Amino acid sequence: MKNSILSIAAAILVALAPKEYAFAKDNCIECHQTTGDKPSELFKHDIHYQKGISCADCHGGNSNAEDMEQAMDKKTGYIGVPKGDDISKACAACHSSLEKMKSFGSSLPTNQWEFLQTSVHAKLSLKGKEHIVQCVTCHNAHGIVSVKNPSSPVYPLNVVKTCTRCHADIALMRSYNPSLPVDQLEKYRTSVHGMRNAKGDAKTAACANCHGSHDIRTAKDVKSKVYASNLPGTCATCHSNVEYMKPYKIPTDQYEKYAKSVHGIALLQKHDQGAPACNSCHGNHGAMPPGVESISKVCGTCHALNADLFSSSPHKKAFDDRKLPECETCHSNHEIIAATDKLLGVTPEAVCSRCHDEHQNVKGYLVAKTMRGLIDSLELREQGAQKLVNEAEQKGMEISEAKFKLRDVRQARLQSRTMVHAFSEGKFKEVVDNGIKISALIAEESQSAIHEYYFRRFGLVIATCIITLLALSLFLYVRRLERRQKQL
Amino acid sequence: MNTFLKRIYSWVDERVEIKGLVDYMGKKYVPVHRHSVWYYFGGVSLFLFIIQVVTGILLLLYYKSGEELAFESINFIMSKVQFGWLIRSVHSWTANLFILSAMIHMFSVFFEKAYRKPREITWITGMLMFFLLLGFGFSGYLLPWNELAFFATKVGTDIAGIVPIVGKPMLVFLRGGDEVTGATLSRFFGFHVAVLPGLFTVFLGIHLLLVQRQGMSEPLHIKEESKRKSMPFFPNFILRDLTLWLLVLNLLAILAVFFPWELGKKADPFAPAPAGIKPEWYFLYMFQTLKYIPGKLWFLDGEVLGILLFGIAGVLWTVVPFWDYKSSRGEQNRLVNYLGLFAVMYIILFTVIGWLA
Repeated sequence: MKNSILSIAAAILVALAPKEYAFAKDNCIECHQTTGDKPSELFKHDIHYQKGISCADCHGGNSNAEDMEQAMDKKTGYIGVPKGDDISKACAACHSSLEKMKSFGSSLPTNQWEFLQTSVHAKLSLKGKEHIVQCVTCHNAHGIVSVKNPSSPVYPLNVVKTCTRCHADIALMRSYNPSLPVDQLEKYRTSVHGMRNAKGDAKTAACANCHGSHDIRTAKDVKSKVYASNLPGTCATCHSNVEYMKPYKIPTDQYEKYAKSVHGIALLQKHDQGAPACNSCHGNHGAMPPGVESISKVCGTCHALNADLFSSSPHKKAFDDRKLPECETCHSNHEIIAATDKLLGVTPEAVCSRCHDEHQNVKGYLVAKTMRGLIDSLELREQGAQKLVNEAEQKGMEISEAKFKLRDVRQARLQSRTMVHAFSEGKFKEVVDNGIKISALIAEESQSAIHEYYFRRFGLVIATCIITLLALSLFLYVRRLERRQKQL
Repeated sequence: MNTFLKRIYSWVDERVEIKGLVDYMGKKYVPVHRHSVWYYFGGVSLFLFIIQVVTGILLLLYYKSGEELAFESINFIMSKVQFGWLIRSVHSWTANLFILSAMIHMFSVFFEKAYRKPREITWITGMLMFFLLLGFGFSGYLLPWNELAFFATKVGTDIAGIVPIVGKPMLVFLRGGDEVTGATLSRFFGFHVAVLPGLFTVFLGIHLLLVQRQGMSEPLHIKEESKRKSMPFFPNFILRDLTLWLLVLNLLAILAVFFPWELGKKADPFAPAPAGIKPEWYFLYMFQTLKYIPGKLWFLDGEVLGILLFGIAGVLWTVVPFWDYKSSRGEQNRLVNYLGLFAVMYIILFTVIGWLA
């Protein structure tokens, strides 16, 4: 344990070392190797060692000194093993300095430390004195190699294992976030990404591709790459890249289609965070295209009633026999447009007419035609009722009850759109008839209010005439009376 | 008079001796001069009071007090009850016309100095009725329990609460607690249909009795007996009054049909106050004045000072017969005229500003 801490410190202090130490004889390694010390062994393969950074650059002291006491003299700046945030600060001393990084001939970004501090990993650890994660947690302390090197713990094929060192540790995760699942790796291995990754495909998405590396934020954080409204963009980074996806031979227009879909508009334009993103249908860690059998289950997660009605409809068997994906057949997958009444019926734009026509599957053709007629009729009745309500309201009549009932008609229309999925003329007619009945009631109430409006005006004219006549008679009577009184 | 009516009259007279009163009424005369027109506003106010009583009783048949029922019951009256819309609109419009007519009546009496001896009690009862009328307006405004009424009552009772010493207890008494709630509504309903009408009827009885007993006051400028003209109270004045009442009834019908009194949205105590909330027009000049007074004036709180000044002005106005000695002696008092003119101009100006603000 002590050795490993020493090794961590050594690696970090390498970065702090002044350039004049580079390529000088490193007595720390010379001496430590004789003791069979593992960190010093690992450090010989470390990219930092190759760049001329010595143990003393991270641990302090003088690596040129022959005498051990002199080399590890605190007066010469020897600090031993850095602890807590001092470890990351030691790394950042070079990795956050553009000048220093350039001096080592590195083109690595210099914002890792800054990003790490904004990430979820920058929360305080259980000790309460340091961040949960330090640089060495993922990159190791000694034997650090480039991320492109297959032996690096953060190399795409290894990063999954590196992350799960903590994220699959139930006890550890419970201490920080008990609600966070710890089965990500298991799920990942069942996903297309995970399976390809396991086969050695470093291009497929691993943890860092979706969650980021140094700037990992919780999924609830609006800046997170996996926050609902950011997620489609994150997936599209690879899936919309034609060149990148070429070897996989799958389409790359999913994002483009999704952005135009009812779901995409809700999430990306209306910012409805409850609207489905890629992971809602494909899963996240276990991401996989839903199969023909499961597609209705996936859609049914949200559209439960529609899925239930479809399952008990005559279409269920017909679709299964023809191996047609249930919802997708009529609604498409990524480019799902808002379902309007036009989808129903036998007109060219109606989806029913793709399978039913006057000569083939005639029964379905007739049912679709009738259902469209019914829903159109309900829409017309609703518009008529709305018009009458508006007219009555414009005339200043109290029509709130009828106005409220308009919601029931709208509800009936929505219900009828759902009921379409039962593909039963009887059930559909029942819902539509209810809406038509309410529309008729609204129309009646509105018309009665409009009649009342004219009746009030007519009544006013009559009443005003009578009252005015009475007033005029009285006035004339008083005048006559006063004239008579004067004569007396 | 036909025989049947004569027999009824004799039957009543035999028992309660009304002949004296009828003879007295028959000999009563109303002065006629260039300001006689103002006499009619007393009668118009009385007519509007009668309408309020009748429509108020009709509304009571369906109105239900209570946070959960008030708004719904008014909505029911407006939409379901036969002619309910008319009764409610007439009641609301009459309330406003009543206050306007009473104001005109009050100012005409003031400028004619009709309050001078021996009519001090008539003036005082008139003023008390006017204050009760404002109370009717304030309490009745809350009864539909709509958004505007709720917040106007909140603001109105808040202002009452500012009065030093008695303010806070008065606020709690008016609201039935610290906040405007269902308890306030029940309380205001009680004031509106029981307490205020009771008191008003007593003062109205005294007021009318004194008007009949003392007759109409003549303006100071008519001094010569030879220039004095008059008309019989009955039937001339009564019939003229009746003609005007019919015209007022016509006006009310037109207002109720063309501008039905809206109900608005139901009050929600947890909702924010709607922007630009204002009291009814008859309180607007006071409300607007309080807005212009700085927060702190000398050592006094601006609003407290405003309320105190309005209070003092109201008291001085009410007791004018007791400090306007000149008018009581039959002399012209220009100062009172200027004060009255100032009050009229002030009320009109600040009401208009408040309305436009």
